[in-house]
Amino acid sequence: MEELLQHLVNGLVLGGTYALLGIGLTLIFGLMSVVNFAHGEFYTLGAYAAFASLALTGLPFFVALLVAIAVGGALGALTERALLRPLRGHSIDTVMLVMIGVWIAMQNSELLIWGGVARSIPHPFPTAPLSLGPLNIAPLRLFVVVTAAALIGLAWLVIQKTRLGTAMRATFQDRDTAALMGVPIGRIHTITFAFGSALAAAAGALLGPVFLAYPSMGDLASLKAFSVVILGGLGNLAGATVGGLLLGVAEELGAGYVSSGYRDAVGFVAIILVLLFRPAGLFARAERIG
Amino acid sequence: MIARTAFALGGVAALTAPLWIANPYYLHVLIMAGIFTILALSLNLLLGYTGQLSLGHAAFFGIGAYTSALLTLPPVEVSFWIALPAAAATSGLAGWAIGRLALKLRGAYFVLVTISFAGVISLVSINWMPLTNGPLGLPGVPPPTVGPWTLRTKTAYWYVVLVAATLAYVVCHRLVASRIGRALVALRENEALAQSVGIDGTRYLVLAAVVSAAMAGVGGSLYAHYTRFVSPEVFLFSYTVTMVIMVIAGGQGTLAGPVVGALLFTALPEALREAIAWQWQMLAYGVVLILCVFFLPRGIVPTVTGAARSLRTAGGPFKMRRGSDTPE
Amino acid sequence: MPKRVMVALGLVVFVILALVPAGDAQAPIKVGVIQPLSGPVAASGNYVRMGAEIARDWINAHGGVGGRKIELVIEDNKSDPKEAASAAEKLIVRDKVPAIMGAWGSSMTLAAMPKLEEYGVPMVVETSSASSITKRGNPWIFRISPPSDMEALGLEQYVDKLGVKKADFLAVNTDWGRGAAQAFGDMLKKKGVQVGAAEFMEQSATDMNAQITKIKATGGDTLFLTTAVEQITLVLRQGQEQRLQRKVITTGGSSSPTQLIKQAGAAAEGSYHIVFFMPWFPEAMPDGKLAKAFVDEWSKRGNPFEGLTEGFRGHDGIATIAEAIKIAGKDDPKAIREALWNVSFTGVNGPIKFDKDGPAGKESGQSKPSIFVVQVRDGKVALPEFMKK
Repeated sequence: MEELLQHLVNGLVLGGTYALLGIGLTLIFGLMSVVNFAHGEFYTLGAYAAFASLALTGLPFFVALLVAIAVGGALGALTERALLRPLRGHSIDTVMLVMIGVWIAMQNSELLIWGGVARSIPHPFPTAPLSLGPLNIAPLRLFVVVTAAALIGLAWLVIQKTRLGTAMRATFQDRDTAALMGVPIGRIHTITFAFGSALAAAAGALLGPVFLAYPSMGDLASLKAFSVVILGGLGNLAGATVGGLLLGVAEELGAGYVSSGYRDAVGFVAIILVLLFRPAGLFARAERIG
Repeated sequence: MIARTAFALGGVAALTAPLWIANPYYLHVLIMAGIFTILALSLNLLLGYTGQLSLGHAAFFGIGAYTSALLTLPPVEVSFWIALPAAAATSGLAGWAIGRLALKLRGAYFVLVTISFAGVISLVSINWMPLTNGPLGLPGVPPPTVGPWTLRTKTAYWYVVLVAATLAYVVCHRLVASRIGRALVALRENEALAQSVGIDGTRYLVLAAVVSAAMAGVGGSLYAHYTRFVSPEVFLFSYTVTMVIMVIAGGQGTLAGPVVGALLFTALPEALREAIAWQWQMLAYGVVLILCVFFLPRGIVPTVTGAARSLRTAGGPFKMRRGSDTPE
Repeated sequence: MPKRVMVALGLVVFVILALVPAGDAQAPIKVGVIQPLSGPVAASGNYVRMGAEIARDWINAHGGVGGRKIELVIEDNKSDPKEAASAAEKLIVRDKVPAIMGAWGSSMTLAAMPKLEEYGVPMVVETSSASSITKRGNPWIFRISPPSDMEALGLEQYVDKLGVKKADFLAVNTDWGRGAAQAFGDMLKKKGVQVGAAEFMEQSATDMNAQITKIKATGGDTLFLTTAVEQITLVLRQGQEQRLQRKVITTGGSSSPTQLIKQAGAAAEGSYHIVFFMPWFPEAMPDGKLAKAFVDEWSKRGNPFEGLTEGFRGHDGIATIAEAIKIAGKDDPKAIREALWNVSFTGVNGPIKFDKDGPAGKESGQSKPSIFVVQVRDGKVALPEFMKK
């Protein structure tokens, strides 16, 4: 029984970060229809930005997190302006190809700048785990889960309750009407991509200290993010959140009870099953966003 | 006219390649380009003509490679000429499974199913040691034999690949020009309309998937017997990405596009290996890709043929003539 | 005016070309190097490259081989077997190297091997651990790194002193990890030690909590860990989080305990590590002076200390090839291959001499490298009690 509970706890912690990745991508893929293969690279960028802030300039941990988010958002905005805006109107495949190019370029730039050696990102939390009965959880991981939840809540607030969020939802539901109503379409696209990338960078900055930072860390993250988006339904924030948690738990349980070798297969099989029986996602609703 | 001469020239060059390519290394690059041409053509069937993107295409490639390798190694040890069609059949079967599984899905969902399928197959190849030998791979895959001769040399193998690639091209051409091809294009352009005139979208999608997968399986078999070593790395996502780049940058929905894309993007990494220090090679590759998409968003072949057409009909690239295009 | 400029330029070019010596009788000897310089194991490939560069510079500083300098032609195999084969082809055919060192990972080496036989060029294998490499009947392969079974045998004498009664395995799901789990498992069973669970993790996996939870449940006393240093860090940390109380022994020799101490901190305390080079006490190596000089040169170049446990392979590989060229007297691949059988000298790891391995008539060469065990004690790397003379 304690094994099961430990697996569940592990799964929820992991799932929280999958959710963060998924929310960023559901905005970009679900709303903007950009097949963003570089999403994992913004995740990596966040981790390296946190590393640079902490290990090289010695900023406090929380400031480093903010720096990572800012860098992710800024580079996201730049990418949208420079590469995506000129290609708007072209087919989804052309845009996908550009994002593949960005993925290759970003990853190899990181390899050039930081080298292939994995970096350990220092953090201020004690390493001794907290014990709740038979369960163990490291303070750092607890922090990650709590922060992820806070960021997810913040994202939801922005999308649902602010004028910016309303403008975003309007743009992607009906662009022409939104334009007629005076919504600055171009800027909304840039902000949405920046927002999604900033969330990915946040996930990277949070998970970087838990694991390690290395140039290819984003590859698997990209694929898992796509899984979460599908599980939750394109553009569905709440769906991505729950989807992320579910994926994390399913992976843990699969690795624990079926076979650790097939761990990642659990996520894949889950996607196939969901798409067979509920193709609009587990939480299909009438509106696409929210 | 231009297309015909280009074709003829290319054909002659290809047939006589071993004669004028002095360096065996270039012949090696050409053989790999030939194999990737088959793969790109197969992906183009699905992507270019049905509009459905398969991002798990490496799975069909890998299934073909493993099937062919396992059949020609001990204890089975059949001839390459049986293993090749068997590889096509096994991959075709996988294609059929994907087609049927994904029959209700379109767009992003289809993409995700193909990625997941490839992911599962990849993990099976790594973990199912008794069958695939897992990460240790299958070394020593024998080269094909014709009677008493072993086709071990590059020259011999080049002709095998050339014949296979030509056949693949012909199959695609026939398919596209036929009723099936027109139905596929109709489905790609407007599925609802096509279905209203009685075209069964699912049936044609499944057919395209089967042919596409079988062709990729042939490519896998050729790869296995050339490199003579098969390991789970054949399922790497990077192979699928490479195929996608070749099709889209070459020009999807055309027949020459994948061929041009395959030649270009097989030669490009090797050219970069020559020209640039190893630290900058992959970065340069990414930049070239981005530039290619920016300047040729429709792909190389459509841009070139479009430019050629406008040159012909308008009497110059900058003059516009009002009225209909000059008929051929 | 422009025409005159053209003529002037042409003259300048002509003069420059004329000054270039027609043919260099003392042309350098090219040696090919194939390593994963990008991709997930880029760090290791680059360490090997750094070690190779030190060997090259030392050899050239002493006048080269037969008066000719060594030049390394370095190719990236991008951690992909297909690229390893392409790189081998290019090195042999375009650069015409008479010998190669490579290709780090076992599947990359296996993919390149058919090319060696096709063109008749020898390759010194510096890292790969799959036993099949020297058993496939490829007479152009000479390996200086130990296959997993040899490594396991090297530990056999210490098993009792370590007090291993029931062991579990956690290995990376590659040829290396699986081979090690197999080889060490067989060795332990022969000594009467119980073997509990054998768990595996994907090369890119970062969360091993599920495997650790399962291992906790077996009640064993020792955990054999075979994977790259990054994953070892994660396993140690996650093991600490789950309060896994085990003796940990890492295998493979590549994972630098120094890096583990830096990144895993207290979680690394007490762990044992099988290494093939001890940069912390170079004097204890078979050729103490050479080892110390290597460590000094490495840090003089600003290379990271953690890389030494892998970088020495690059040095020994190039030194082996250079020694063979010296014995052969020329840079001809066949002559170098013959000469490799007569090579007998001491590298950074220890004595290098090739024994026959594999099917009769087509044997590959396999050297017997020295194997050491170190321990992390009080946050520093130390020799375990039973290793001290």
